[in-house]
Amino acid sequence: MDRRTYLKATGGAAAALSFAGCTGGSNETISIGSDIPYRPFEYETTDGELTGFDVDIAEAIFAGELDMEYEFQQTSFDTIIPSLNNGNFRIIMSAMTINDERDEQVDFSDPYFTAYQTIVVREGSDITSKEDMAGIRVGVQKGTTGAGAAQGLKEELGGDLKINEYDQIPDAFSALLNNQVDAVINDNTVSAEFVNGEGDGDVRFVEGEGAAAEEGENAPPYLTLTVENYGIAFRQDDDEFREEVNGALAAIREDGTYDEIYNEYFAG
Amino acid sequence: MATDTGRQRDASVLDKLDDNRFRQIGMLGTALFALVVAVFISYILLARVDYPLLINIIYPQFTFAFLRVIGIILISGVLAVVAGVIVGLARVSKTGLTRAIAKGYIEFFRGTPLLFQLFVIYLGVPQLWPPGQFPIQGFNYYAAVIGLTMNHAAYVGEALRGGIESIPKGQMEAARSLGMSYIQSMREVVLPQAWRNSLAAIGNDQVILVKDTSLLTVLAIPELLSAFRQVNSATFDAWTPIVLVAVAYLMITIPLGKLIRMLEARADPAAGGEH
Repeated sequence: MDRRTYLKATGGAAAALSFAGCTGGSNETISIGSDIPYRPFEYETTDGELTGFDVDIAEAIFAGELDMEYEFQQTSFDTIIPSLNNGNFRIIMSAMTINDERDEQVDFSDPYFTAYQTIVVREGSDITSKEDMAGIRVGVQKGTTGAGAAQGLKEELGGDLKINEYDQIPDAFSALLNNQVDAVINDNTVSAEFVNGEGDGDVRFVEGEGAAAEEGENAPPYLTLTVENYGIAFRQDDDEFREEVNGALAAIREDGTYDEIYNEYFAG
Repeated sequence: MATDTGRQRDASVLDKLDDNRFRQIGMLGTALFALVVAVFISYILLARVDYPLLINIIYPQFTFAFLRVIGIILISGVLAVVAGVIVGLARVSKTGLTRAIAKGYIEFFRGTPLLFQLFVIYLGVPQLWPPGQFPIQGFNYYAAVIGLTMNHAAYVGEALRGGIESIPKGQMEAARSLGMSYIQSMREVVLPQAWRNSLAAIGNDQVILVKDTSLLTVLAIPELLSAFRQVNSATFDAWTPIVLVAVAYLMITIPLGKLIRMLEARADPAAGGEH
């Protein structure tokens, strides 16, 4: 799922990473639009170093396979597609779910990640199923597929769900801890960071099967509302480059680099 | 003498010419500007706005967002003026401590961004409780009203201080010498005049308060900008919701401006007001 929208000026922290040793490739530095922070896909360590799953995948694709220089550009998620089409950057790598609406505006690479919309509640909560969600308050991030999943759930429950939309996902988790919402709907991997990190002991996933099991996907043991694939977004006139990146993506899946990166962030 | 007069006449002819040309340039400039704006707005309204979508989002999203914003403005606006009078009186107090505290209050609330103050209240305060224990439900609305009130009370207080200080000291002294208490002199003599002098500044601040409600989007309050962002991120259409947001804010700020000018006229004795 994805993400978000953010607020307003994000302090303009353009975290530009440039890696040395990429002299042989084309002269153009590939600039990558991304809504940072979205842990564990793109975030800065306390030392200010940009890291995350997307960042490592970019390193493997551009520095490793294509011998190109690249840099990340901080942008806000709710305007990220217009920004790409305006030419502010060449591609988007921002844990972006492939969906039909976005597909009309941009072209996506082959999927490089599968995510599930899951529900996080406080440890003491008695919510164990979708039906238990009737009448509660749910926190989501603006403009994300999590917000979309919450909207879908609201319709399923006959409108009996109150949705609070936050600018960034940490705000939604704060609201959960601060008793302002009773559940947060968001991508499983991002939520897992919180459940096993700052929220450890205070919050838990709602367990059970769901959309993932229905689609026969190899899903985590949580109640899943939807199954989504992440893709790298390109402008619609950038087919040649998109094919190159698809090739590189296949190559890093083949040689084990992808698994290495995956395990670094999502093992266990 | 003759030369002097001649020079003076020359100068005034020049001045006249310049004034005329100045006026013409001004008219031309504003007419051009108006034309460009009219063409631009027509283009937006005719070519960029998706009317079926517009109709679709007016109700319920934008209508509820609009009513919600009006509710928050009414409550915060009234509270900010009431609290601002207290801040203003404290600011001109004869007691050093009271004055210093009021000064510190104003420095903080005018010296830090409202957005930051909203985060302090909304994220900071509930964390004083253990996780999940914070007792107030729907705290985002309380945080919004508290934040807007405390911030704008500082501006109203400062405006009122200016108003009070513009009243000659002799007025207070005269009232006191007639045997009125400090409170009576303030209430009967100084404040009515100070109020008139501060009214424009306080009115301006109320208009700013209206616009500040846009910040509440970060508190997950579905106000007008949230409605805009929701529509925009779902449809990628910017201009349709932009038009609605602009109309909604102007529907509040233009009548509010009129109301303030009316109050000013009423408070002005030269215009036959009550006082």
